[in-house]
Amino acid sequence: MAISAATKAATDALAVNRAPTSVNAQEVHRWLQSFTWDFDKNRTKYPTKYKMANDTKEQFKLIAKEYARMESVKDERQFGSLQDVLTRVDAANKVHPKWNETMKVISNFLEVGEYNAIAATGMLWDSASAPEQKNGYLAQTLDEIRHTNQCGYVNYYFTKHGQDAAGHNDARRTRTIGPLWKGMKRVFSDGFISGDAVECSINLQLVGEACFTNPLIVAVTEWAAANGDEITPTVFLSIETDELRHMANGYQTIVSIANDEAASKYLNTDLNNAFWTQQKYFTPVLGMMFEYGSHFKVEPWVKTWNRWVYEDWGGIWIGRLGKYGVESPRSLRDAKVDAYWAHHDLFLLAYALWPTGFFRLTLPTAEEADWFEENYPGWHEHYGKIYEEWRARGCEDPNSGFIPLMWFIENNHPIYIDRVSQVPFCPSLCKGASTLRVHEYNGKKNTFSDDWGERMWLAEPERYECQNMFEQYAGRELSEVIAELQGVRSDGKTLIAQPHTNKDGKMWTLDDIKALDCVFSDPVDAL
Amino acid sequence: MANYNIHDNPVRDEWTAKIGGLKTLASGHDFLKDFRKKHTTPLRATYDLELDWGWIECKIEEKVALLKHAELNDDQFKNYCTCGANAQEVADAVVAKMGACSDKYEAEKLHINFRIDCKPPIMPTNVFMDADRLLGTKLMELRNINYYDLSLEELRKERGVKVITIQ
Repeated sequence: MAISAATKAATDALAVNRAPTSVNAQEVHRWLQSFTWDFDKNRTKYPTKYKMANDTKEQFKLIAKEYARMESVKDERQFGSLQDVLTRVDAANKVHPKWNETMKVISNFLEVGEYNAIAATGMLWDSASAPEQKNGYLAQTLDEIRHTNQCGYVNYYFTKHGQDAAGHNDARRTRTIGPLWKGMKRVFSDGFISGDAVECSINLQLVGEACFTNPLIVAVTEWAAANGDEITPTVFLSIETDELRHMANGYQTIVSIANDEAASKYLNTDLNNAFWTQQKYFTPVLGMMFEYGSHFKVEPWVKTWNRWVYEDWGGIWIGRLGKYGVESPRSLRDAKVDAYWAHHDLFLLAYALWPTGFFRLTLPTAEEADWFEENYPGWHEHYGKIYEEWRARGCEDPNSGFIPLMWFIENNHPIYIDRVSQVPFCPSLCKGASTLRVHEYNGKKNTFSDDWGERMWLAEPERYECQNMFEQYAGRELSEVIAELQGVRSDGKTLIAQPHTNKDGKMWTLDDIKALDCVFSDPVDAL
Repeated sequence: MANYNIHDNPVRDEWTAKIGGLKTLASGHDFLKDFRKKHTTPLRATYDLELDWGWIECKIEEKVALLKHAELNDDQFKNYCTCGANAQEVADAVVAKMGACSDKYEAEKLHINFRIDCKPPIMPTNVFMDADRLLGTKLMELRNINYYDLSLEELRKERGVKVITIQ
């Protein structure tokens, strides 16, 4: 067949200069850098004390096409496993019931963190002026969108295929009832997206991701697998493959400000505040979720914490940043002390406040109690005896007319909520380091549980105005609050939260709670 | 003690009626500023509306934004505050004051008062946001310098808190 002169000319030209069939990724990356705006004169929308350098590099040098190809392969593997083999082997129903409840909290909460990380990295993209650094943040924004979907999907999967869907589905509607959401939003929301843009990066990337994603996203897969859950490792390990890029972004944030005079004035203060903010919630909550939300134990939380937070992060990772003037946070030692008892203190309160949750909690069995005593000598004398008393009073049974919150009132152990972290504490009962301090400022009483948080509030009180549940609901009866704020299952009367996971056990209803006549009061009113 | 529902309650109903009575931009402007002074920020006059202030402020802002839309032309909308002042001049004056400020507590008041006086819809967003960024940047700088120099006792005294209990 005859071909046109133009086609022949093109064919001849290609014979001499072959069209590229592949392009070196690094060449493309360099080429893309030439398509840049004048970021040096870019005016960010966000305040920051620091000046990010205009020539900061980015370690991964990913371009969008490579990124999309890589992530699509990961998604294929993950969703393929979930929808095919794990569904066929009925994996969701093989999860231990206690762990099923734990994943209601972990995946729903991490979803909030990932969602706020989208905004945080968008903010960092806007704040940075180096094209490569922007590229790194942009890849992270895409990651965070992926992770938000993945976390949502874990709860969707458990809802669709698993046991006791209530709480996996639509947990967010219960967000104003109990105290656990507010503390989580302090670290995952406020910490990531409010204040100085670089401080947000420190919260998100340098502390949240470099320090706590190992204990959170990696350790959780070990605990999940030990408790029969193959769904969580399938998704969370896929998430973790992206976290390295985020840790690198945090590292590059520090590199980008290293030559700025401001870094020496502010950086270690911001790092300390970010570390205390994150650890104040994650240390007790993760420990509680792992140890009290499982039947089969992996290792004591205090060991996990020591290895990943104290040694790997506080020592090695921060040590690598030492050449840029970064020091291990001053509060690291106090946090280490808290890592021993704080999660035990928190479970005591979480179980006492169980009707305000969106998940089911279970008291340790005799076998589990032995594990606690063996790993935390003194546990039984302090906590174990209390649980035995609660169990003897029938705390799991709605016919008993007893919830452990009543025990706290009877024994004059008031529960307070720390204004800065929003974490509840009971100073007369805790074995951890929390101590009570209450101020009045402009007619408002504020409660704190430690020096570091109190100092943060004294420095910037307008940042910590969040009301706690005692302030919000003082004078109201508990079942009314639960009903108004949608803490019930689809029958409109059975609570989502329950104090046991026994499938033959009777479930508590609004009527059972109403019969207790439990009325909220704010303990600071008595001071 | 507020023994009523969170979302639908008599306090919100009462304020909804008051907001409904605002018919001019001038009245809306004064009403919003007065509300913010009395009921918002750590410097507020009273905590009586502690549970509902955020919702109420939002509803007043909605109303003022509608009145602004009805009364201002495009040029006024982009460049003037709801009180008629030139937005950029107001913003520049506050930023200049902040620039000259070296006391963190004074800087804090400047920033809080700027938000009370100017937070949109009072000041156009395009002017407010950048001024707010500059004020916030300076405030954060002042607050973070020598952060650990004072003991907690000294800080409490400096902040002016009344200590109820220290364990």
